[in-house]
Amino acid sequence: MPLYLRLAALAVTSCLSLMAAAETSAPAAYGFPIDNPFEATIAGTPAELRPALPSDDDIDQGDYSLNLLPQREAKLPSNFWPVKRLSYRLARQAGPAPLIFIIAGTGGHYSGGKMEFLKRLYYGAGYHVVQLSSPTSYDFMAAASRHATPGFSVEDAKDLYRAMVAIREQQESLKITEFYLTGYSLGGLDSAFVSHLDEQERVFNFKRVLLINPPVNLYTSVSNLQLLVQSEVPAVRNQGSFFESLLGKLTHYFQDKGHIQMDDALLYDFQESKERLSNEEMAMLIGSSFRFTASDIAFTSDLINQRGFITPPHYPLDDGTNLTPFYKRALLCDFDCYMTEQLIPFWRKKYDGSGLQMLIQQTSLYALEDYLRQSPKIAVMHNADDLILGPGDLGFLKRTFGERLTLYPRGGHCGNMDYRDNSQAMLEFFRG
Amino acid sequence: MAKYLFLALLLTAPLAQAEHGADADGYTRPLEHLKINPALDQREFERSTLDALDIYDPWESWNRRVYHFNYRADQWVMLPVVRGYEKVTPGLVRTGVSNFFSNLGDVPNLLNSLLQLKGKRSMEITGRLLFNTTIGVFGLWDPASRMGLDKQSEDFGQTLGFYGMPDGPFVMLPLLGPSNLRDTGGLVVDFAAESQVNFLNVAEVSSDHPEITLLRAIDKRYSTPLRYGQLNSPFEYVKLRYVYSKARDLQIAE
Repeated sequence: MPLYLRLAALAVTSCLSLMAAAETSAPAAYGFPIDNPFEATIAGTPAELRPALPSDDDIDQGDYSLNLLPQREAKLPSNFWPVKRLSYRLARQAGPAPLIFIIAGTGGHYSGGKMEFLKRLYYGAGYHVVQLSSPTSYDFMAAASRHATPGFSVEDAKDLYRAMVAIREQQESLKITEFYLTGYSLGGLDSAFVSHLDEQERVFNFKRVLLINPPVNLYTSVSNLQLLVQSEVPAVRNQGSFFESLLGKLTHYFQDKGHIQMDDALLYDFQESKERLSNEEMAMLIGSSFRFTASDIAFTSDLINQRGFITPPHYPLDDGTNLTPFYKRALLCDFDCYMTEQLIPFWRKKYDGSGLQMLIQQTSLYALEDYLRQSPKIAVMHNADDLILGPGDLGFLKRTFGERLTLYPRGGHCGNMDYRDNSQAMLEFFRG
Repeated sequence: MAKYLFLALLLTAPLAQAEHGADADGYTRPLEHLKINPALDQREFERSTLDALDIYDPWESWNRRVYHFNYRADQWVMLPVVRGYEKVTPGLVRTGVSNFFSNLGDVPNLLNSLLQLKGKRSMEITGRLLFNTTIGVFGLWDPASRMGLDKQSEDFGQTLGFYGMPDGPFVMLPLLGPSNLRDTGGLVVDFAAESQVNFLNVAEVSSDHPEITLLRAIDKRYSTPLRYGQLNSPFEYVKLRYVYSKARDLQIAE
């Protein structure tokens, strides 16, 4: 990049961070180094800029499981054996301590990378930590979701709440001083709905709730992510597929380097090499990852409810069944397809719902606007360049949360969560 | 529906034309800087993924059963054993054990590197063996990595691939996990070569002391990051199969 462009970019970004600082409580000099939102989303924070955290050897933790839907357990095919019970992870402090629940993002497992990061962060600060899979994940849908048709936030929150209450009962010997709640991405939106439900149920009386990069309008977020697989990538005009072209680049990169080394620094180094990915290729990668999740959701929801869009009802399935034909169908079903075929009909029937607009209203942060405005215990952290937002979403957050919104100028979607300033702010918010 | 959204984006685009400029709310609208296929009918995701499913797997039903067997064995036997191992040994000891077996593994790495006539790599692995076996006290420490001689693995499956032998059918090996016919043959050859070389006398002593083989197996599981169920997908088998096959292609090409 020519020097003048670099300077121009620097000027723009510093204006941006100044603007952000003036409007919200974001730090004036923000040092997160990646100004490309696609790269930030994929690569996260460079290792040397992450906070120091406890290692596994220093954490007293274990995986536990709950039988939340006993009547379904017998009905699921045998190849679902690993997800017949809902597993979760608990890290316990030696003495009495506050407990924080962490909810994963779309399709996310409780043991995923971001979840492990948050666990280490809060455990290191003295909390008991419970890690929960997303209501849109394969294991949660099978073991804990009563209707196994995720995407309607109110129902998802009820499922989460049931699981959390059951965990509280299973861990009754744990000495807990008070309860906290957080989640990133879709888990952030889920946290808001769970907190709202807790105002009626009053089991936890969460002291503070933090939403990290949540969708504001769920449909905008889904549409953005779906749009990413329409990025124009060169592979389309070549014979090889997009994945083949990525692997080809990776091979050339390693050949130039002389040996294979897979570590945290790989992506940064790769982006400095001549094989670097364009924005469109990175967008395609992020969009593909979302499509994989969408096909898992479509397949699992269809199978559990025996709807017959992907797997014929009562089709015999066991450990040896070749699932590839069903996977092929599921891969063709994007999130729109899942909504049209499964979520909307389910919601119409159960909630007497009307059109898409009403569903969007009920599943987005809009539905909780008054609650969020009046609840000083809930805060949100977001990025000015997050891929899952749409025009007007930040305005909504500013109007609704006011001072309780921290807006960072860069970070893409959740790419700066593990940047040390962000993690510090996350801890400080709960410290109160 | 995405089409309407895209239209809306197009219509509002002139309001936010400046590269990485922000709108009135401070939002930078990152998607507007992407080149998007205007007709929204690009089917590259579908083409790529359907293409990726095409891996030769004639024994799929059997392989899937072995996958479930491995998953159960992992959950109920191997991972509990690894947790016990972590409980009774300090981290320093575990690292020493891993280094020791890893140093033994540099012998087949060297042989295969030589078979592929990779001069520079063979020199580096020889250097690793020399430093780690002497300064590193029979490989308990890994000073070579600190000197910049990174571990590079070459096995007989890679050697066969290097000389153009195709993968053959995909195989899910009991306990050992994903492989293919070529690499399974390679494993057998590497194993035989190791007992022949009998480096540091370990192969010979192990035949009288099965606890050494057991420790090696525990260390292998301890140092392998793969967890069944980690991908949390009903299609994990297919994904593992794809990743294995592409990772091997990459190792062979490099």
